[in-house]
Amino acid sequence: MSEPTAMSGPKAVLHDIRYSRYGGTLRPRRSAVASFVASGIRRPLGLRRSASAKIWPFLLLAVAYLPAVAVVAVPLLIPAVNVQPTDLIRYPQLLTTNSVVLLAFVATSIPSMLTRDRRDRVLSLYFATALSWVEYVLGVFLAAAALLALIVLGPMLVLFFGSIATADAPGTWFTDNVDDLPRIIGAALIVVLFHTSLGLAIGSLTSRRVFAVGGYLAVVLVGPALTGVLTLVTGDDWPLSLDPASGPVRLGMSFVGLEIADPGPLAWVVWLVVVLGGLGVLAGRYSRGSDA
Amino acid sequence: MALDRLNVALHASATGLLGANGAGKSTLLRCALGLTRPDSGTLKVLGFDTVTQRTEVRRHVGFMPEHPCLPADMSAQDVCVSLARMRGLGRRDAVRRTSEVLFAVGLEEERRRPVGSYSLGMQQRTKLAQALVHGPDLVLLDEPTSGLDPAGREEMLAIVRRLSVELGIRVIVTSHVLDDIERTCDEVVVLRSGTLAAQRPVDVEHNPAGPAELRVSGDVGVFAAALEPRVSGLGVQLAPTAAGDIGLSSSPDEALDAVRDLAAELGVGVERLVPAARGLEDVVVDAMGGRR
Repeated sequence: MSEPTAMSGPKAVLHDIRYSRYGGTLRPRRSAVASFVASGIRRPLGLRRSASAKIWPFLLLAVAYLPAVAVVAVPLLIPAVNVQPTDLIRYPQLLTTNSVVLLAFVATSIPSMLTRDRRDRVLSLYFATALSWVEYVLGVFLAAAALLALIVLGPMLVLFFGSIATADAPGTWFTDNVDDLPRIIGAALIVVLFHTSLGLAIGSLTSRRVFAVGGYLAVVLVGPALTGVLTLVTGDDWPLSLDPASGPVRLGMSFVGLEIADPGPLAWVVWLVVVLGGLGVLAGRYSRGSDA
Repeated sequence: MALDRLNVALHASATGLLGANGAGKSTLLRCALGLTRPDSGTLKVLGFDTVTQRTEVRRHVGFMPEHPCLPADMSAQDVCVSLARMRGLGRRDAVRRTSEVLFAVGLEEERRRPVGSYSLGMQQRTKLAQALVHGPDLVLLDEPTSGLDPAGREEMLAIVRRLSVELGIRVIVTSHVLDDIERTCDEVVVLRSGTLAAQRPVDVEHNPAGPAELRVSGDVGVFAAALEPRVSGLGVQLAPTAAGDIGLSSSPDEALDAVRDLAAELGVGVERLVPAARGLEDVVVDAMGGRR
């Protein structure tokens, strides 16, 4: 490090930190919403919080990424292994494997994004001088969707780009498989939007985290049991479309892998009703603009 | 009906809203913030309509709610930075402004601790800091001393007074306590059942030689008859008051000396000799009780 000299000027600057009026220009609202989204992503992950707050979310993230990272890492680190990661695990398999992790993550993180704000009664503060209710709902929805995309889309992208890196001819592999990319993103969107909407809608109905988590778990655990009984009684597969746990995953799998039978229009109707209905519940709940 | 045909203009740099529970103080603040839409009539804040120009109102107004409204797991630093960004400040400005306001409210040492670990006084100061962080032209403070111990109350009152006197921010404070208003405001507005009961400056110039009221022991009529020739030459007129005391049209020192001498001569006691001008407390008590 060079010594400060008179020619190089002072190295330390004293700042006057007394209160003064703010004379700068304010940024567009989209910047404010983006900041709210970033804050909404950080909190469930435990970022800028204690170490213990990070354990559960990062444990789930590790479990979600482990299969994709493993099948990519082995051919990368061991030259003798000459196999493509997508031959070891396919995108639909990854989607199915991560569905349990996804349900656990949604249950413990997504509804509480709303219950926490109601418990702390920060909504009156937000709506008074910071955000409109539309900006609030949009910000929370985008943050929740981004978090779930980390679980659902992230591992599939690791698999896709890892396969490029491990291919003998990466350029050729990419051009041969580039069609997978929009299908991966589409499948992830189907799953993410469904559980974001469902988790937030349930979270908006109560200020108690335990009730919100219990409500979500009841829907995704009781739902499969009921649809299973219906399937047995009717002897047909259409009740599976009503299953909130596997329904969107089946839709996503059909979108990305075409390995299962077409879930049918009923599955899409259910998906649409849950996504739009959830947004409707959120709008109805927050358009009043209060903590109540 | 919380507010009923209320017609009031607030121009003082610091205005206190007084009234009993349910008088309409908090409803008036909610209307001013655009959180509650009036059934009829208009409300303008800093020239902006609170219904049609809510964005401008949000930009120029800071709000400190009465109830706890801070995320318990975030630090004061993170709360202020986050709210500043939601109000449109860039990251660098938000961090700088947060340092300034936390310093201004005396929280610079504790700013990184979670708000949930703060004392009530520190939480109140954090609420005040977030109201100031975007550099508002007007701050609305809903019961800023609510729940504070005497030391905390003194600190909060000093900070609130400093806002309008030193920092040039217009302030509207609601309170149940007249003393808080007298010490922090230039004007007081009394609400009763949603209507305007009184509006007057806090400091009224006191004329020591102005009208006075005199009460003596013994026969008031005899005393008044004996006093009149002694003070008439000073231009002082005597008249009975509604309470049966002797009213003096003015009270120069010579007239007060005459009262003292006559009381000594007649052997009667002077029970009460006070300025006839009514104090703030009398006005407020009358207004809250139903008399203008």
